[in-house]
Amino acid sequence: MNPSSLKSRFTTRFLRALTKINAHKPISSSSPGPGEIFQRYRRIKVAADKSMAYSVRSRRTWSRATLWRLRTRSPRSRLATHARRSWVKTRSTRAASHGKEKKEDGGTVEAEELRELVPGGEAMDLCNLLDETAHYIKCLTTQLDILDRQECTSREL
Amino acid sequence: MLHRLESLKSCTYDRMDMTVPERQAARLKWQQQNHVVQNNNPVELCASSGSVPRFQGLVGSNLGSGQMVELKRLEVFLGTDNFQEFLNFPVTGPEFGDSEKLDLLPPEAAADYCISRTSSCQMTALDTAVMKEEREDMVLEKMESTIVSGRGSFNKRKAETVADHKSKDKRIKGEGEGESEVKTKCSTEISRNSSKENSKASEVQKPDYIHVRARRGQATDSHSLAERARREKLSKKMKCLQDLVPGCNKITGKAGMLDEIINYVQSLQRQVEFLSMKIAALNSSVENLPTKEFPAIVANFPAAAKLPEMAGLPCFQLNPLQKESVNCMLNESMHPPQTEGIASASVSISEQSLSSSSMTQLQPFSTWNMDPQGLYNMYNMGFH
Repeated sequence: MNPSSLKSRFTTRFLRALTKINAHKPISSSSPGPGEIFQRYRRIKVAADKSMAYSVRSRRTWSRATLWRLRTRSPRSRLATHARRSWVKTRSTRAASHGKEKKEDGGTVEAEELRELVPGGEAMDLCNLLDETAHYIKCLTTQLDILDRQECTSREL
Repeated sequence: MLHRLESLKSCTYDRMDMTVPERQAARLKWQQQNHVVQNNNPVELCASSGSVPRFQGLVGSNLGSGQMVELKRLEVFLGTDNFQEFLNFPVTGPEFGDSEKLDLLPPEAAADYCISRTSSCQMTALDTAVMKEEREDMVLEKMESTIVSGRGSFNKRKAETVADHKSKDKRIKGEGEGESEVKTKCSTEISRNSSKENSKASEVQKPDYIHVRARRGQATDSHSLAERARREKLSKKMKCLQDLVPGCNKITGKAGMLDEIINYVQSLQRQVEFLSMKIAALNSSVENLPTKEFPAIVANFPAAAKLPEMAGLPCFQLNPLQKESVNCMLNESMHPPQTEGIASASVSISEQSLSSSSMTQLQPFSTWNMDPQGLYNMYNMGFH
């Protein structure tokens, strides 16, 4: 994965989303309520995750899982979320039970934690999980870098 | 006679599912050949001109000119339980031919019997040491170049190398690692056996000798080999992750590494949340708050102060919002603070900012100029 292209893709998407958010919710003259800021924060975070996942497309399991999660985030599609969770659980239990035969006990506890952290990591064996984690960390650092720059520029404004 | 045996051998070598004794017999042959190459360098390895490749001296110069070792003969001889005698046995062609005929009948049984003993025998008699994979490579090349063998033996060896290449190709498909590649260049049974012994046996390298790794016969080889390949894959990936995650060069072991990785991923995710919150706050409140104070506040903070800045701004702006958001963030990603990493700093700082928010709730807006210093001190405390 070429980091510079990932960065540029992510940056363009994220800035686009950011401008859309800012344009959509004009800043009120009075001090915005806490809920408003929190909502905006959620939107920005979602925009960041979404743009990152879109930059990676469906090449990675975690990006697919993130996109799926973002799409079915709304309350009306809770059923879909439940369905996916149950499917993921069955797959993960199958994969985990198959893999646990060979794994030592200490490794599985952390592996489970890692699975919870990395999106889409529930249904993967340790080997692929480590791959996904490495790519996820790379993308997270890119995301942070751009968010930081954005924050600096918006701070100076 | 012998040709029939050899053809049988080549057939078995071509088939990947060799029986255990056959495999071990081939391994034995490998050892012998290695030792032949090593020990008989001064001795000419000349081709057997006859149609029947002759079994000449195997070990030591006292056996005369060393020639191609025929595994079957060795097996046969060892099957008679006379290994020590065999060392000093002056071997001539026709004699052996006779004994060979007799012992041809139960070749498998002989192989079977002698395999269990050969390893130990060879250890003592031949004084074998551990061989490194590159040596095996060299040996293979040397063998092919130096030994100009007779028809039958050459066929056998060719079949074996073909089988080796086949096994190598098959295995490289899955792994693609240098170590395992070199391993599979030897015969399959050597690699399978040595896969278990690699971890146990220490390697002794001397430039002139070619050492053979100590091996014990293993029954379930495919499982151990697959597991070893899996373990190597995992360790390779852990090494890659070690490069990505800062500060885990000293940590060895899978559990510790996984812990570090988990902490790092959590801290990264939290940083993303903090930064997005910050951007939200900045974007929404850029008109409401005096902008001159914030750069000053921010500039006072230490260099790694992404998080305290983040926690600081909402803390000053809106206490309920800050509490709510930080509570959310803390609840989302709560874990026992670690001694290292940004995670601990973030948790402690957010907790402190939480407490500071309750303190500053009562303070009027005009005392903001005082607050940065207090907050700065608090953040310093949080870092140390």
